[in-house]
Amino acid sequence: MSTDTEGVALVADEAVANVVRAALFAALTGVLSYVSFQLPVSPVPYTLQVLGVFLAGVFLGPTWGFASLALYVVAGAVGAPVYAYGASGVGQLFSPWGGYLWSYPFAAGLLGYVAHGRDGLTPTGEIPLWRLAAGLGGATVVIYAFGTVGYAVFAGVGLGAAVLAAAVPFVPGEILKGVVAALAARSDRLRAA
Amino acid sequence: MLSHEPGDTLGHRLDPRTKLAVQAVVAAVALAHATPRWLLALTVVCLLALRGCGLSVPAALAEYRGVLPFLLVAPLLGALRLGPPWVDPAAAIDPLLSVYRTLLLLALAAAYVHTTPPRDSRAAVAWLLPGTVGRYCALGVSLVFRFLPLLQSDLRRLRAASWVRLGDERRVDRRVAHLAIGALARAFRRADALALALRARCLSWNPTPPALAFEWRDYAVLCVAAGIVAAAALSLTTR
Repeated sequence: MSTDTEGVALVADEAVANVVRAALFAALTGVLSYVSFQLPVSPVPYTLQVLGVFLAGVFLGPTWGFASLALYVVAGAVGAPVYAYGASGVGQLFSPWGGYLWSYPFAAGLLGYVAHGRDGLTPTGEIPLWRLAAGLGGATVVIYAFGTVGYAVFAGVGLGAAVLAAAVPFVPGEILKGVVAALAARSDRLRAA
Repeated sequence: MLSHEPGDTLGHRLDPRTKLAVQAVVAAVALAHATPRWLLALTVVCLLALRGCGLSVPAALAEYRGVLPFLLVAPLLGALRLGPPWVDPAAAIDPLLSVYRTLLLLALAAAYVHTTPPRDSRAAVAWLLPGTVGRYCALGVSLVFRFLPLLQSDLRRLRAASWVRLGDERRVDRRVAHLAIGALARAFRRADALALALRARCLSWNPTPPALAFEWRDYAVLCVAAGIVAAAALSLTTR
């Protein structure tokens, strides 16, 4: 980037708020990836990383949801410890779980689009439940489609084995995260924020 | 946790763009040629890079101990068969090479993070990505670096407060919802306060970045990287 000494291009007030929210949701997704929990139906420890993707889509909408998760991917690639278990670096994007990382911006964008439509943001408490459910379902499909194909390509296994390793064990956790995202969208505490 | 450590090694003195370019080159070549011969050659490159950054192999891999067990799943699954003979060791070779390739890329990424301050990464991002996209990413990356520890401490406090009130005895969905809503409320509060402060300080798209300049050592490293790309491309065409 060249140093511009001719003038100052101020960031517009609305853009400041959006950029800051996008960055904080990217950081929040990183923080949630450190939190793991156990479900009685599965031996897999689930992290809450994908919950960050869902929340960004629901609360920021299609454009800034996409932008926020794109920021998450770039920040992790250049060294911010935001990927699962505090990892970071360009190498992660080409690792067996790299497909998931590539999918996050698209999943958040799709969820935002389905939940809010094209014309501005709907207050989260007023998003119809069917739109939320369809958006969350669509985002989950995008994440696992990218994730499974990424696993097959970067881990060098067949697509069937990739589905077994990278998708099937995680489905119960995604259902729970979807429910939590819907609860957060309906939360009175957040409606005031 | 993987983070920048100040130092005076060759890795610390290289331009961040050179280090990103080397990572991209090694990733591209390792993806194009996942053969033992090429991976051996790239291993030498990675060992030299780690040495140049003052990082040992165990120290670099220890940074990824959380994710390493997941890497072992691929060769195991690759070798399993649904009928007799049930286990086919030859089928595990490709996944093993892929896992090894991933280890090389992770080691290089650790070397980058270890030697590059966030401020330099921000400048490199702004240089690599054109126009407003680059400026948005650069600004956002610096905010992510700055707010990650704050949001972490918010979440830690939320979990501690929940535990002392026997929150860990609640149902898992209520526990996760409580955590997510609390974390979101705090993130929104922080975002609003920060946005107000940035507006008051006239946030601009074109701040003065740290000076990035290629030196002779960058050109030398880039020449080696170009050599690797040329050899890989030649090998592809004569295959």
